[in-house]
Order: sequence, then C-alpha cells, then structure tokens
Amino acid sequence: MEQRPPSDLWQRLQQVPRHYIYLLLSGVIVWQLLAPIRLPILPSPPTRGVYDAIRAVPAGKLIVISTDWDASTQAETGPQTRAVLEACFQAGKPFALMNLASPMGAKLGNDIAVEVGKEYHAEYGMVWCNWGYKAGFTNVLLAMARNIPKTMGQDFYGKPVAALHMMQKVRTIRDVGLVIEITGLANMTEAWVGLIQGPYRIPFAAAYTAVMAPGYYQFLDSGQLEGMLVGAKGAAEMESLVNRPGAGTAIMSAQSWAHVLIIALIIFGNLGFVLTRAREKGRER
Amino acid sequence: MLLLYALHRLLGPRGRRWLIALVTFVAGLFYGLEYFYPAKGNPSANFLTKWIEPVSIMFSVIGFFTVGLGVYSLCHVHGRNVARRRPGWHNSLAFFLSMIAMLVFAVWEHYLHLPEPPPAVLPWPKGVYEVLFNGLFAPLQAATFSLLAFYIASAAYRAFRIRSAEAALMMGAAFIVMLGQVPVGMWLTSAIPASGPTAFFRLEKLGEWVMNWLNTPAQRGITFGIAVGAMAMSLRVWLSLERGTFFSEQA
Repeated sequence: MEQRPPSDLWQRLQQVPRHYIYLLLSGVIVWQLLAPIRLPILPSPPTRGVYDAIRAVPAGKLIVISTDWDASTQAETGPQTRAVLEACFQAGKPFALMNLASPMGAKLGNDIAVEVGKEYHAEYGMVWCNWGYKAGFTNVLLAMARNIPKTMGQDFYGKPVAALHMMQKVRTIRDVGLVIEITGLANMTEAWVGLIQGPYRIPFAAAYTAVMAPGYYQFLDSGQLEGMLVGAKGAAEMESLVNRPGAGTAIMSAQSWAHVLIIALIIFGNLGFVLTRAREKGRER
Repeated sequence: MLLLYALHRLLGPRGRRWLIALVTFVAGLFYGLEYFYPAKGNPSANFLTKWIEPVSIMFSVIGFFTVGLGVYSLCHVHGRNVARRRPGWHNSLAFFLSMIAMLVFAVWEHYLHLPEPPPAVLPWPKGVYEVLFNGLFAPLQAATFSLLAFYIASAAYRAFRIRSAEAALMMGAAFIVMLGQVPVGMWLTSAIPASGPTAFFRLEKLGEWVMNWLNTPAQRGITFGIAVGAMAMSLRVWLSLERGTFFSEQA
C-alpha cells in the first residue's frame, strides 16, 4: 500500500525517510572519526575492577585471555583486547591467549598481541603465548582445569605448548591467577563461572559488547566477576587507565554524538506524535 | 569408539536407538556423578576425577568431527545447486571458490615457517592469505554487523513513541543509560561534584544505578527461569525423552 505523504510539519517530524536518518548517522560518525571533539573519559567501577584484577595477579601466576570474538564485533572487542594486553604488558604479567569459540578470534587476537608485544619488546613464549583455537568448549575447560599443557597440545604456531619457556611451571588451572573472557557471544561466561571460577576460585573478569553487557551485571554484583569492560566505552576507559588512547577512545567520540543524534530523533518524533494527537483531540471536542 | 561404531552399523533401527540412548545416559551420568559424588581426602577429587581429563579430551576430538560433517553438508547442498543450475547457483559457486581459496592459502601460510622477525616483503602465499583474511573476510563480516547500527537508529526513531506511562518510563531509562554510557553524557552533568550527596545525579552515576539496581534483578530473574528450563531440557535429552530427535525421525 502506498503511504500518503505527510500533510504538515508535525506529521513530517514523525515520518522522516530512513535514507535521511542513515545519511545523518553516517555524517555524524564520519565527522567524529575525522575531527573528534575529545571529552574526558572517566573509568567506571567495572572497568577499574578489570584493571585492578590484572595488577593483583600474584607473581608466578599466569593470566589466561580468551579471545572468543570475530570481525563482526571487532569494533568493540578489538580495542578491548588491545587495552587489556596493554595493561598486562605494563603490569609485567605473563599471559596466554586462547580461543574456545569463533575460531577467527585466535588470529585476530594474535595479530593484536604481536603488534602490542613489539611496542613492549615482549618475546613470544617468554612473556606471552597463544594456545590457539581449541574445539570442545566445556570439555576443554574441564580438561584444562587438570592439565593445561596436555589439553592445549600445540600453540597457534604449531609448537608444543609444554615446550614454551613461560609454560614450564604451568600445569593446572591452579597456576592461573586470572581469566579474562573477551567475547560477543552469550553463554561463555556461564561456562567459565560454572566450571572454573566457581569450583577452583580462580578470579574471573570479562569484556563484552555493549549490547550483551546488561545481562552480566548480575555476575558483577555477586562477585563472580572481578570487573567488566562494557563495549567500546570499556575499551576507552581501559585505554585511559593504561594511558594509551587508541581506537576505543576514537570510537567513543563517534558513539557519543551518534547517541545524541538518536535521542534527538526520538524527541522530534515524539514531539510530532504528541502535538498531532493533541490537535486531533481538539478537533474531536 | 570403533566397537561402538561397529555396533551402530550392525544393529537395526531399534537397536541403534537403544545404543545411542545408552551412550547418552552413561556420558551424562559420568559428568553428573563426578560433580556430585562426595570427595575423599582431596576436596576436589573422587574416584571419577582422574577420568575427567581423558574423557573430556576424547569428547573434544569427537566434537571436532562435526567440523568435517559441516563442510561435507555445505559441499553437498551447494554442489547440488551448481550441478542442477538452481536459482542462485552462482552464490553456491562463490562459496566453493572462497572456501577453496581460503583453505589452500591458510594451510600454505601455516606451513611457511617464516623467520622471526618476519621479512619486510612477505612470501606471496602469505600476502594472498593476508589479503583474503584481513582485507576481505574480516571487513565483510564487520560491515555486515555494522549495518545494524543504522537499522537500530531508524527503528528507535520510528517505534519509540510515548503512548503510555510505561513507555515514558522506558524512554527515560533509555535516555539515562544511553547518555550515561558516553563522554558527552558525562560532560552534560560535569558541573555536579563527583563526590558528595549530589553526585548521584551525574548521568554516569544514574546510568550505573539503572544497570545495577533495576536491570540486575530483572536479568537475574530471567536467568533463573532460563536455568530451570535448561535443567528440565537437559534431563529430557539425557534420558532420551525429547521428541523430534534422531529417533523419531527414523521411526
């Protein structure tokens, strides 16, 4: 059915063609990416929790970072991963990357670690390593709790995990001081909490896409999560904590004004709606 | 495993059904018993604990066969599309071309064994792989997902109307959370002192309050409901009571 063109301004406010909305949103994002208006970023308590958890890892213990994300969520999870790795390198904490779902994340996470590792002159196998993608999800978690080198087998580059220098004293999950799950997938946290954090009391932190984070505040509230990075905001806050502004900070400028635009559009739409309704009611009287 | 496979091939449909139900039951029972059976001495170990690691690795290996099954299934479906020139067959051809190209160059790149640090000019198979992965696959996936932002903006504008008090409440909460999540929101209320009795009215604090005090209980209730449902569902699968599975299709 063909839609009738809106007759007056109030109706027009409710029916802005979607193409204009897309164009406006694109314009705002491009404008802020090219010429950002920098505003101060204050780290929230959940982000500070992740940062503090990294720094609190005892000497001799390993941090396990599970990069269960792919290119579809890279805009958020990529900067989150980079900021978390920066925090690990700055604190001098050894870490191992791994991947349980979205196998693409094994390479994308590795690319970031290689790049950041170069900046900190960190040698592979000494300060950090990548266990690669391991199929089996919950079975991998159950097995790695008892024997990490045997469960992981070969690393991302095909070398035996047991042969890596930094893995010489790592045997079971008890040698892990913190697990950080970076993901855009549901149910990963539930498995980590149920099989690792709960039974072995291993500190656990996570980084989620903004759209899924609301579902995980309950784990933060219960103390099962030490901290949480929420979308690009979490990445930007972590970048401010490690004093290395990057993609997360840049994205926040664009996201800031995109949110303002969406709120303005909703207000305009409702203004038109309320005034049209008021006029119709006046006519009825 | 070979014995189970041989039995599966030898038995009739009814026997297969019982075999699969038995294996499912024993596998579920193993994990259940290991988790709940009281431990002696070592607080996290009982007589089944030592078997967790080999059994879990065995299940991981079996699970990995599903990747092969997935590839076979895709090739079967798309192969028929191409062979019979069905509508959209060119999409199926694109699937084969992209899968073969990615497979060949990913395996090739994996076995190149580049020196550390890698040379300034990468060997061409590595270069092709980087173009395919970082230049094509990753941006295509990211672009598809980022389109959502535009749909959400348009949908929020069209659907979010204050038709009732509840809708107004929801809009208020949405505005607080949206602004509380971004620096511009923090800037709007930056005149309010960051500590003291009025600090609560800063947008980022209000946003946190909405997430922690309103969102968390609601999410916890939902999670609790899902967990109870999942437990019931797991029980049905474990006892092979679930309809519409392999068995009923065969029957």
